[in-house]
Amino acid sequence: MKSAWNKFYSWLDERVQLQNLIQFMGKKYVPVHSHSIWYYFGGVSLFLFIIQVMTGILLLLYYKSGEEFAFESIQYIMSKVNFGWLIRSIHSWTANLFILTAMIHMFSVFFEKAYRKPREMTWITGMLMFFLALGFGFSGYLLPWNELAFFATKVGTDIAGVIPFIGKPLMIFLRGSEEVNGATLSRFFGFHVAVLPGIFTVLLGIHLVLVQRQGMSEPLGLGANSKSGLKTMPFFPNFLLRDLLFWLVVLNLLAILAVFFPWELGKKADPFASAPAGIKPEWYFLFMFQTLKYIPAKLLVIDGEVFGVLLFSFAGLLWMLVPFWDKKSNRGEQNRFINYIGLFAVLYIIFFTILGWLL
Amino acid sequence: MMNKEILTQPEQSKRNFLKIILSGGIVALVGSILYPIFAFLKPPKQGEVEVSSVKVGKLKDIEKNSGTIVKFGTKPVLLVRTESGDLRAFSATCTHLDCTVQYRKDFGMIWCACHNGKYDLNGRNVSGPPPRPLNEYKVVVQGDNIFVSKNV
Amino acid sequence: MKQVMLFLLSFLLPVLSNGVSYAGDKCLTCHKGLSDKPSSLYSHDIHSSKGISCAECHGGNQNSDDMEQAMSKEAGFIGVPKGDDISKVCSNCHANPDKMNELGSTLPTNQWQLLQTSVHGKSSLAGNEHIVQCITCHSVHNIVSVKNPASPVYPLNAVKTCTKCHADPAYMRAYNPSMPVDQLEKYKTSVHGMRNSKGDSKTAECASCHGGHDIRSANDVKSSVYAVNIPSTCSHCHSNSVYMKEYNIPIDQYEKFSKSVHGISLLQKRDVAAPACNDCHGNHGATPPGVESISKVCGTCHALNAELFSSSPHKKVFDEKKLPECETCHSNHEIIAATEKLLGATPEAVCSRCHNENQNPKGYVIAKAMRHLTDSLESSENNAGALVTDAEQKGMEISEAKFKLRDIHQARLQTRTMVHSFNAKKFNEAAMKGLSTASFVAGEAQHAIDEYYFRRWGLGIATLIISIVGVALYLTIRKIEIKQQNKNNGIKES
Repeated sequence: MKSAWNKFYSWLDERVQLQNLIQFMGKKYVPVHSHSIWYYFGGVSLFLFIIQVMTGILLLLYYKSGEEFAFESIQYIMSKVNFGWLIRSIHSWTANLFILTAMIHMFSVFFEKAYRKPREMTWITGMLMFFLALGFGFSGYLLPWNELAFFATKVGTDIAGVIPFIGKPLMIFLRGSEEVNGATLSRFFGFHVAVLPGIFTVLLGIHLVLVQRQGMSEPLGLGANSKSGLKTMPFFPNFLLRDLLFWLVVLNLLAILAVFFPWELGKKADPFASAPAGIKPEWYFLFMFQTLKYIPAKLLVIDGEVFGVLLFSFAGLLWMLVPFWDKKSNRGEQNRFINYIGLFAVLYIIFFTILGWLL
Repeated sequence: MMNKEILTQPEQSKRNFLKIILSGGIVALVGSILYPIFAFLKPPKQGEVEVSSVKVGKLKDIEKNSGTIVKFGTKPVLLVRTESGDLRAFSATCTHLDCTVQYRKDFGMIWCACHNGKYDLNGRNVSGPPPRPLNEYKVVVQGDNIFVSKNV
Repeated sequence: MKQVMLFLLSFLLPVLSNGVSYAGDKCLTCHKGLSDKPSSLYSHDIHSSKGISCAECHGGNQNSDDMEQAMSKEAGFIGVPKGDDISKVCSNCHANPDKMNELGSTLPTNQWQLLQTSVHGKSSLAGNEHIVQCITCHSVHNIVSVKNPASPVYPLNAVKTCTKCHADPAYMRAYNPSMPVDQLEKYKTSVHGMRNSKGDSKTAECASCHGGHDIRSANDVKSSVYAVNIPSTCSHCHSNSVYMKEYNIPIDQYEKFSKSVHGISLLQKRDVAAPACNDCHGNHGATPPGVESISKVCGTCHALNAELFSSSPHKKVFDEKKLPECETCHSNHEIIAATEKLLGATPEAVCSRCHNENQNPKGYVIAKAMRHLTDSLESSENNAGALVTDAEQKGMEISEAKFKLRDIHQARLQTRTMVHSFNAKKFNEAAMKGLSTASFVAGEAQHAIDEYYFRRWGLGIATLIISIVGVALYLTIRKIEIKQQNKNNGIKES
């Protein structure tokens, strides 16, 4: 048994130089300090993405797109297919957890200023992946073709439509027609299972290669305290095994959520019905949705809604480009201003999400 | 593995025990992940999702002077094809006591078996106990496919 | 309404009989000389006894001898009023409470108003005059109190007055071609009509049900003969113990009916398809249905039950024994919603009235078996329903089983109908269909409930495995790190 394994290993090693890879990983060290916990959120996001890919492929075997099929096929998956309820619930729950862990990962990187030189590209690819994740969420939400999703999509694409000049064509591009209908569904399905995963995989590849090449970033100031630098642990096996342990906990959490809180299917979308009361987008869009409600209808010359959309687009762009304007961190100096911005963003998102949830 | 010789006997067995637990656990874990996946892959009894609510069938499959019950969400709908070939759809729930009505070729009428309630082919209650007409649904024929939708 | 009027008139009569001198009326003096019909009739008119002059209606000066002057336009002479002007002339006084008081009348003053809202006040030909004017029913120049047997609206004369038009197809066609004109013929055959023709002024005539001035179409929700209002209209007399005393018939029909399945549908749920009094007794030809015809009457709605009963073995026996078919088991006015309780061999079941172990034992056995089946069908429906609800509450997807629940209920309703065949085989067929559907639904629901627990067990096992692996992994990490530390320390020491 053992010798067979060794034989196979050396066979493979001869051809692909596995030893190099292990040596590389063995030499890679992860800094150990009081903020080390945040290093795990990138890994767990990766794990959740892998789950999404796997459960997504499984769901693809039974899901049928199209106005008259979509809802029924999910109903069929939930009731007739063995463990269909589990796969679908896990896919839905993981989608939400993925956005959550990606958010935590993003904010931790932001607060630690890990985006600073030389990791600008890692940050940019990460941010792009985050936007894609939101796109995954938005497009996937419509696929069951239920009432809530239908109206959330209507509202969401309407908001996209208010952007000056490109709004209207963008809305029609998203919807595949003037209205949200079967054409929108096929389009979103295409985005969700082909377009987005394709782009995402490329970005993820770059992101991971960069992380491996550059290693983990050390927080500003922490390393300066001791001469020999920070305490470290080997990436392999110490860090990887800890990663795995965390993944196991998350996996168990997912199973519990899927069994005790199976994802609801709701009522089939009826394009002619009036919108049910309390239509809300997914929680990760809630703070933006809620903000738009508070902006007055007219701000000087432009529409309040247009102003809101432009404001969020601008803020998002600034956020993504932070490594290029935060010169201080790039020089290795503390930049409290960035902390205040990050704190404001976190508090703002939490406050408006709760507000949107309660109202 | 390299330090095997310096381990004492109890440590050795403890280590082996941990190894067995870990590898056994991993095998069980992989099993408990793969089992649902393989069960999922196995085609279910009902091989395909039934198209129920909107598309109800093909025009050529429905004879003239006949009626069929189709599922519209959780409610039954009676699709009638008249002798002249017209298609009509009505809620199949009798307005009297919620029995399911059917099309009777011999009367050329919609009939409820429970209390002999009769409706004409416009859904109007014409004899027996039903107090109200049947709700009508809209029938649209696209190509060869028949779609039933709510009457707006 | 009419009773109020009668009541008021009884006060008026003494006043009227006093007579008033009208010798000063020159119109009458002249016209009596001409001996024309109006003037000769008018002396018997109630208005003449009140001292009301011709000029009050026709205008002119009643004090002038000069024909030219008395009947001049300057004096307000209008000649014979035509069309709607006729009723307007009457309403000059009859719609004016002050004037009526002045004349010592306590008659109501809203007749003109009521007439205008009635079906008669609304229809007209060519937009000119309305069909009915006051004088159409009350006649003219010889108007007398409604209490007076000479009045055309006296109860014994009312039918004749109304049917002057309503029995004339040629006349009615102009206003309502679809309206039947056989009310009089039917009325003659009714209990009310026969008594009326014998001179009983207390029995219902047209106005008793349709009202006097405010007659509305039967489709008008405000009409006293609108389906929902009929029971209270009939009960106006039929539930009045004093009024009905001399007729010696029960007066509790309304009370019973309002508690019956029909009464609840009609009066509480406002379902106008439910039968009112007239649907069984007829309206104009109102009479209790005979023994033989009861099943025909009920069968107009409950057709399948009637059909099944007619071909059942009970038909012959009931006919021989002169038992009314439906009523024997279901009673008449107080028909309660039929339940399983009616069936079977228990003392409360109607079957047991004729069938027991000794008497007609064959029916006894069948009734017992049928009841057993309906009971098990009911309990299996409840059971399946409870299981479906349970599975639903557990969040399981069982819309298909839920859909099939309807079929069980349908089978139950069908068995209830099938009882009327009194044929064990037919009944069993219907019941078995329900039972097999029920067992299918219960099976599906039970499967879903089992699945629910399976999921929890599966989760438990998976959690256990994950925990074991987690702990083992943790221990392994620690082991590795201790080893690494030992190694590092070893390097440092050496």
